[in-house]
Amino acid sequence: MRPLTNWFRRKKLERDLSRELHYHFDRRISDLERSGLSATEARRQATLELRGVAQIQEEVRDIWFTRWLRDVVYDLRFSFRSFLRTPSFTVTAVLSLMLGIGATTAIYSLVDQVLLHALPVRQPERLVLIDWKGDEVGTGFGSWNLMSYPICRDLDRQKQFFEGVFCRALIPVDLSTGGDPRPATAEIISGNYFPVLGVGPALGQVLANDDDHVPNPVAVVSYDFWQTQFGGASDVVGRKVLVNRHPLTVIGVAAPTFRGIDVGEVPSLWIPASESIEVLPIDANSLDNRRSHWVQVLGRLNEGMTLQRAQVGLQPWFKAMLQDDLGRAGFPVITPERRQRFLASSLQLTPAPNGHSSLRRQMAQPLWILFAVTVVLLGLACLNVSGLFLARASAREREIATRLALGASGGRLGRQLLVDSLLVAFIGGVLGIAIAPLAVRALIAFLPNGTITNALQAGINSRLLLFAFAAIAITGILSGLAPVWQSARRSLTSSLRERGGTSFGGVRLRKIIVTAQVALALTLVVGAALFARSLNALMAKGPGFITSSMVSFSIEAVRDGYSSSEGQRVVDRIDKALRESPTVQTSAVARFALLTGGSWNSEMTIFADRKIDSDGDVNLNAVTPRFFDTMGIKIVAGRNFNDQDVSTPDNAGFSTPDNAGYRSAIVSESFVKRYLGGRDPLGVRISQGTGPNVKPTTEIVGVMSDFSYRGIREDSEQAYFPFYESEHPAGTFYAKVRGTPESSFASLRAIVRDVDPTLPMTNFHTLDEQVNRSLNAERMLSTLSGSFSILALLLSLVGLYGVMSFVVTRRTREIGIRLALGATPRSAIWLVLRDALAMILSGIAIGLPFIWAFGRLVQSQLYQVKPWDPAVITVAVLALGLAGLCATLFPAYRASRVNPTEALRAE
Amino acid sequence: MTSPRFPIPQGTLDMLILQIVSLEPAHGYGIAQRLEQISRSIVQINQGSLYPALHRLELKGWLKAKWKQSETGREAKFYSLTPSGRMQLAAEKDSWARLTGAVQLIFDERGGA
Repeated sequence: MRPLTNWFRRKKLERDLSRELHYHFDRRISDLERSGLSATEARRQATLELRGVAQIQEEVRDIWFTRWLRDVVYDLRFSFRSFLRTPSFTVTAVLSLMLGIGATTAIYSLVDQVLLHALPVRQPERLVLIDWKGDEVGTGFGSWNLMSYPICRDLDRQKQFFEGVFCRALIPVDLSTGGDPRPATAEIISGNYFPVLGVGPALGQVLANDDDHVPNPVAVVSYDFWQTQFGGASDVVGRKVLVNRHPLTVIGVAAPTFRGIDVGEVPSLWIPASESIEVLPIDANSLDNRRSHWVQVLGRLNEGMTLQRAQVGLQPWFKAMLQDDLGRAGFPVITPERRQRFLASSLQLTPAPNGHSSLRRQMAQPLWILFAVTVVLLGLACLNVSGLFLARASAREREIATRLALGASGGRLGRQLLVDSLLVAFIGGVLGIAIAPLAVRALIAFLPNGTITNALQAGINSRLLLFAFAAIAITGILSGLAPVWQSARRSLTSSLRERGGTSFGGVRLRKIIVTAQVALALTLVVGAALFARSLNALMAKGPGFITSSMVSFSIEAVRDGYSSSEGQRVVDRIDKALRESPTVQTSAVARFALLTGGSWNSEMTIFADRKIDSDGDVNLNAVTPRFFDTMGIKIVAGRNFNDQDVSTPDNAGFSTPDNAGYRSAIVSESFVKRYLGGRDPLGVRISQGTGPNVKPTTEIVGVMSDFSYRGIREDSEQAYFPFYESEHPAGTFYAKVRGTPESSFASLRAIVRDVDPTLPMTNFHTLDEQVNRSLNAERMLSTLSGSFSILALLLSLVGLYGVMSFVVTRRTREIGIRLALGATPRSAIWLVLRDALAMILSGIAIGLPFIWAFGRLVQSQLYQVKPWDPAVITVAVLALGLAGLCATLFPAYRASRVNPTEALRAE
Repeated sequence: MTSPRFPIPQGTLDMLILQIVSLEPAHGYGIAQRLEQISRSIVQINQGSLYPALHRLELKGWLKAKWKQSETGREAKFYSLTPSGRMQLAAEKDSWARLTGAVQLIFDERGGA
């Protein structure tokens, strides 16, 4: 470290040394004069004794900074100047690495934020997710890893394993701080959530251990929400917020760094579970119901407790609880097999240092794939820079030979070359870091979920910088390896013997590099082609319903203070107003929105010749009769819902839309194919749920063509019920509008405002946009890997072109002789093409195993295309070969135009 | 022979500097003169190598330096021994004594044969 600190105070050191030496010099002169020498003689003598001030200064500097540091600094200066002298080389090399490092850093930023980053809580490594493995009899409400609230309370008492166990559920709410309610995300939590995580308040207090055991209308708001909605007001504690029109008192603001435990969705506020009944449209008895699964359960292991020991240790208690459950009042009647499955359930603990996130689950694979792609791209850029350096080294042959002859050691020259490549990597890398935030921002727009844009950050943080600088160092060293190796093999005498411009130094190495580039580029091209084919296949397949001129939006009336029947009337009124509006051609209502990734689903019983249980969940929805017409979904057999089916709760007796509520259903073609193969489906009775006491309540009255529910990829069996029999006071409106969909937004908004000025409309989009959005992950993979593969292709073509031009220049004399001896220009062309073909073909041969490995990696992301699809690979190989030959054409043409006389005279 | 003096053995210059400075703080020119005097002009010291040696010892932490007024009234850089420099000097003196003792033993043996 000392040399480095000395370097920064070198001005002062120099001044002091100069003073010190002058003192010596002057004293010596005066002493010598005193002993009788003349002034000139004394000066001469003193100078002689010191043997040159400049040399002493040099020697002392070596001591101050060490020889090594001084050399590096001189190397850097030298590199920098020589880069300035060859701007085109420098720009190419820096740009290659800028793109490589910028892309890798940008993707890594997302990998880090979404997949790797631990929560900003106390000792996140001790957090585990506790999940039910097996058949969890009951009903679910939410996404993944769901358990019941009572089980969470039970687990919290297992103090020999856990310091604490908390539960949480992310819920969309309509939130108001006084003005119009706006959609927001709330996290319903058990009281010990904050204490167990170890997160404190920025202001006021957070919820404490028992805050969820009794009704307690309070909330903790997030730091961001406090800043944006309350303007950071210091008197926020004690104010009221309206959550679904239910007033809660703010008791505190959470710590600024804490943004919930789901990286994809940042809650605006935290609400104790005791309030969930008041603020949520869920069953009133969800809190006590062991069969109602709606929370994720996480725990903090005791100090020194391992995950395995806790998992094994919990099973006896859990088995006993399962037995107890069977005997509890209200446990549904199930088949003996199901009972077996229920009793065979176990608890599964998984490490959760970075919380729980459905975004992570969804994006993990695409992000890792993209990261792998950018690393390959960075490798290609390294190879490119290596090739450029080798080319430059052969141009600098004379300079280097001269330096060797003057006594520079091989190691010294190698270090100079390494400094060269490190400097290029550093400049390229810093530029790359500078463009990374822009790239990250663009990437975030690709991510599937709309809400996450505020959850992820495009900025550069210290972890990202660390990654980028590690990438720079590795890149610099890797790009320098080939030139250094080459320079180490150089022998002084042969370099000097060769005349400038005839050496073949480095050509073989450059050919190897180009071959490797071809292999890597081919892998990326094939990958990109696979993703593009998948995306195309998905787009061609489409959702199975009309999307042009279609607009949809959702309302959740019950969240906004309506009772169920009032809410139902609101839905009804909006539906009617839409139909009467001149902007709307036709419209319909569905209980659940399509293409959101989620669905209403349940197991079903089919009463055909015998009773059949569905193999898994059937996707369900309730729609108005116009739905099929509006969406362009065909009724392929039977009939649409009619007025009899759609008897509203007011005039018919169906005020409870439970399992028995639906009299009629329309099922999808795939449902018929799977469960009623060969039979006439019409008139067959079905029912939600399975088990001995399921009644054949619902009659199949029609069959509809297949279309997408959760997402475009999925082809699941569906059963649709008539909407008005349901009491659910929420719905998604689908409207086919006149003119462009965007121009209709204002009038649609006006229609809803007429009914209720404060009712928020959510998911207000055109259907085209929703289809696009639901393919975001696929589009991200396809677009990015496509651009990366084009870059890769360009890089390798530049490399190929460079080597071939070089070869032709170096072989001009040989070609001249051949032509003079009677070879045809065509054979000269062949001479060059043969070289290029050898590189391209071996590159392809080396690339094939890479393609195979890459295919295995990405298999699950593909749609209707095999990872080693012969057509894709053939096309990619042909395209690459053709592009490669094009890059060789100009050098080959030059070879054929060599004039023998001139080539020989030039000697 | 034009020069009756022999060059100083490698590595002993450091030890001599430490020894001189251990008596009292001194500046570079002073040390050079003291070296001349002490060695009674037998040992030839290249004044050019004195300053790199001083800076090396300073960097190692065996010497510390301070600008003070010298006997002529002009400011000079005075070097003095640090505690670790004192320890180093003791160690070097010790090993020097052992080396010369051993060399002497070898000489004596040859003389006896």
